Amino acid sequence: MGLVAQMDQISGGSFILTRMDEVINWARANSLWPLVFGTSCCAIEMMMATGAARHDLARFGAEVVRPSPRQADLLILAGTIVKRMAPRLRTLYEQMAEPRYVIATGACTISGGPFVYNSYTTIRGADQIIPVDIYVPGCPPRPESLLYGILALQKMIKSGESLREPGIRKKPVVSELPPGVKLEDITLELRQILGDEGITNIPEEIARREWSTGL
Amino acid sequence: MDQEILLAQIRQIDPQNQISPKKTDLIALEITATSLHEVMRTMRKQPDLSFDMLCSHTAVDWLENGFELIYVLYSTQFRQSLMIIVNIPRENPVIPTVSNIWLAAEAQEREVFDLFGVQYDHHPDLRRLFLEDDWVGYPMRKDYKDDFMLESAE
Repeated sequence: MGLVAQMDQISGGSFILTRMDEVINWARANSLWPLVFGTSCCAIEMMMATGAARHDLARFGAEVVRPSPRQADLLILAGTIVKRMAPRLRTLYEQMAEPRYVIATGACTISGGPFVYNSYTTIRGADQIIPVDIYVPGCPPRPESLLYGILALQKMIKSGESLREPGIRKKPVVSELPPGVKLEDITLELRQILGDEGITNIPEEIARREWSTGL
Repeated sequence: MDQEILLAQIRQIDPQNQISPKKTDLIALEITATSLHEVMRTMRKQPDLSFDMLCSHTAVDWLENGFELIYVLYSTQFRQSLMIIVNIPRENPVIPTVSNIWLAAEAQEREVFDLFGVQYDHHPDLRRLFLEDDWVGYPMRKDYKDDFMLESAE
């Protein structure tokens, strides 16, 4: 915080700070290091989207998949989350260094999917355990959807946190690609959503969520 | 495999044992719970049968008709498969373990105990396998319910 205090004394310091935020967010957005968290079929699809050559995730600076939460800042949830897995997921999330981002891919991760009813294990939505930034629907989502989700996250980061208020971030964004919609429409809509939607306080969100039910 | 010889073998152990009338891909024997252990030992040890591999063991919950335990055996020598079916009552389901005949049965019986609550007599380590140790009830039973579950909306 020494830097912030110094800059406050310079007249027009806020101008410099804004630029700093932009530079930092630009760096964060373009070097996302995802953590491996694949529990079922969505993970196979995710690996094809990230690892293979055809839909190369390296183009967006997010290809360095890390096995350790200490080295990762993006958690891509791919697959059903069950009761027994929930505390481990929470632990992994809390071990990640801040700022940390979460993408939930696929129906099971977002809402429980086909296991919503009459299931004794499936958690109905990952956002019951940890705060989620981007939802990528699909069963499983196409690689394009996941890439679109990553792009949406990058846009969210770039217009996101500041040095003065770390952890205060834009609301979750739904990343879906409806048929017949042009890229310009999406860009416009996304810009509007990111601009108009309220903000969310990540530390408060974490504190508000309880540990998984019955554990 | 000659079914007549097989039938004679299991009839010798318990006269109620029979070839299953159900339509199955494999030859299926329906045997009584009391004769299970002896039948299994015969299947494993007898040189002209020698089913030395337990492929799978599972259970089916037929509600009022009790549990149906299914053992699928395979003989690596004769390259033949055989299904063994045992029906046991739903209240107090007890069955002798076969883990002293095939070691692989130990984990599979633990799984069936975990999800169906079948008690295996003389099992060396009968405790929960997949669920938490303090889990109440057996979730693969058809009448299982708990607070976490959501009833279907229809």
